[in-house]
Amino acid sequence: MNNELGMRREGNERLKRRVLQEAVTENLDVMRGLPPRAVRPARRAGRIWLRRAPFFLVPLTLAGSTYLARQTAPTSKTPQPRLAAAAAVTATPSFVRRPAPATDTAADVERVTSAAFPLAVRRIVLDAGHGGADPGAATPTLSEKTITLDIGNRLRALLERDGFTVVETRSDDRMIPLRERARLANDSQSDIFVSIHVNSIVKHTASRGVETYYLGPTNDPSLTELAAAENRVSGYSIADMRKLLDGVYADARRDESHELAASVQQELFGTLRNLDPKLENWGVKRAPFLVLVATGMPAILAEVGCLSNEQEAAMLSQAEYRQKIAGALFHGIRAYASANDAPQQKGSEHHG
Amino acid sequence: MAEILNVGIDLGTSRSAISASNGERFVVDSFVGWPVDMVAKKVLKREVLIGHEAVSNRTMLDLHRPLERGLLKEGSEKDVEAVRELLKHLLRLVGVNGRRAGSNVRAVVGVPAAALRTNKQYLRNSMKGIVDSLLIVSEPFAVAYGLDALLHTMIIDIGAGTTDFCVMKGRYPTEEDQRTLTVAGDSIDTQLLKLIEERFPQANVTIYMVRDWKERFSFVGHGPERCLVTAPVKGVPTELDITNEMKAACETLLAPVSETMIDLLARVEPEFQERVRANIILSGGGGLIRGLPEALEAALASVGGGHVRYMDDPVFVGSDGGLALAMDAPEGDWERLSA
Repeated sequence: MNNELGMRREGNERLKRRVLQEAVTENLDVMRGLPPRAVRPARRAGRIWLRRAPFFLVPLTLAGSTYLARQTAPTSKTPQPRLAAAAAVTATPSFVRRPAPATDTAADVERVTSAAFPLAVRRIVLDAGHGGADPGAATPTLSEKTITLDIGNRLRALLERDGFTVVETRSDDRMIPLRERARLANDSQSDIFVSIHVNSIVKHTASRGVETYYLGPTNDPSLTELAAAENRVSGYSIADMRKLLDGVYADARRDESHELAASVQQELFGTLRNLDPKLENWGVKRAPFLVLVATGMPAILAEVGCLSNEQEAAMLSQAEYRQKIAGALFHGIRAYASANDAPQQKGSEHHG
Repeated sequence: MAEILNVGIDLGTSRSAISASNGERFVVDSFVGWPVDMVAKKVLKREVLIGHEAVSNRTMLDLHRPLERGLLKEGSEKDVEAVRELLKHLLRLVGVNGRRAGSNVRAVVGVPAAALRTNKQYLRNSMKGIVDSLLIVSEPFAVAYGLDALLHTMIIDIGAGTTDFCVMKGRYPTEEDQRTLTVAGDSIDTQLLKLIEERFPQANVTIYMVRDWKERFSFVGHGPERCLVTAPVKGVPTELDITNEMKAACETLLAPVSETMIDLLARVEPEFQERVRANIILSGGGGLIRGLPEALEAALASVGGGHVRYMDDPVFVGSDGGLALAMDAPEGDWERLSA
């Protein structure tokens, strides 16, 4: 109970810090004579992020490694999954000398919060899960790769109409390794990464729900299993993995990813529940999906439905329902973006 | 080490309130007057009069109410000077006696939700030399911040010049989250004066008298008592019953406020509408109109019902919120916000 109260208080304090920061930013804009952000010419926030990266890399990495060292299962007594444990072991980059055991230094290391990076959202990577020879989850008549591509295209249209620039990792039915998807995302210097997937839970075909993931270790074996399935066509070696995991749990990107995931999940569930009262809210979760690990920007993976459920599979086969999903994703992304800035730049880029 | 004083200021058309980190709180009428001639100056023994004192001696003063609809009247040097005098007076009340070396005054000032950027810049310019650092925020946002009501809450701040609406969605409110109506305390005064003049054409009534009566008797719905006031009729002090006029004037607020409230609610994400409807907070002087929460709740019945509540301290809730913002703002931000 106390723990819950404490968490609520912490959440409220975080919210206050954030809105206060937004108020200060607005004042500084007025002082500088800048027009409202909503009508300002588009900037490449990704570039700013990269330009500032050297200043933040070391503290971020330190904070990330400390975080990993502190990370423990809050409720479950199940053993730490292998991938998450590996992340904890490899989290300290080779070029940073570990000053002391992380548990001793936890109190000394200030968390780097996303409030320090009030950046705009202009360019969005849409990643339609699976493709080509990799169909993802499937029923006799429907496959995940087709659904994700269709929703991705619909979402792209909505985002572009609202002024965002969209980069797609694939725009047709082809298999793109996860490594290539991450490279496309990183090369495009985009601001956020949204991966679209469809769940399939063959052991519980009666279940149907939506959930959104962001990067982080998990102690849930079923999530590790799911991540392993989604990570299958990765193209990464173990050595690559070690490099990727160095510092990826840095607080700032994780905070932003969580914000984005929460915003998207809220819209997804809020919208789709109206169409399907039995839909369950499986919430915002952490999991080490590779596309989230390898992308250098706030990134989420949305499981927008559940193909193993017969009723939902029927709904997913309808274009109207897929349009609703795209609409919900759009509103979630937009709400997140509005908290930072508003989009203006028109146009799109397609890859794959 | 600089002595730091944080203040929250609700710069209102009719009244201005200040809350300071040293525990002091004051509210003054937003009037500033200069003696009209040497005789007045000799009688009043002051260069400038502020607040209730200015209103009371208005016949001897060049009286200014420098804020119109919650904003600084642009283009009038006298009004800019009046605002500066008003601000200096507020700061004096909380213990700031001029700019001392080593002192540091940080102010958060609330302005109407619909204030333009030029209005804010104008206000910022006029506060140069009075405070060291300045943060200007939307008034209903300051209220929400002070109440820790940043999520799923609607603030309706009824002042003299404007009625400000703001739906808090866990972010600094954007234009789409806010509305400003010019139907507010002043428009009630104007309407009330007109109705009284129509009914009692022989009575000699001023807007200042009407304002006092409104503050004593304002209500909507069923009046708790008769509104009996005294005014000169052909020079003879006469008791007037203005109950019906008071009710009619105050109820001019109902339709626009109800409509705007419901319109803003309709723009909230469907799953959160019920929570926002259950968390509607009235602040500002208009929040003291008796029967208003019940009347707004009646209007909400058509959209599923809701709960509207007064704040215990509606006059200071904005300045207290400003003070909370001032106290929470990081040191580095204040440096960047130098006035």
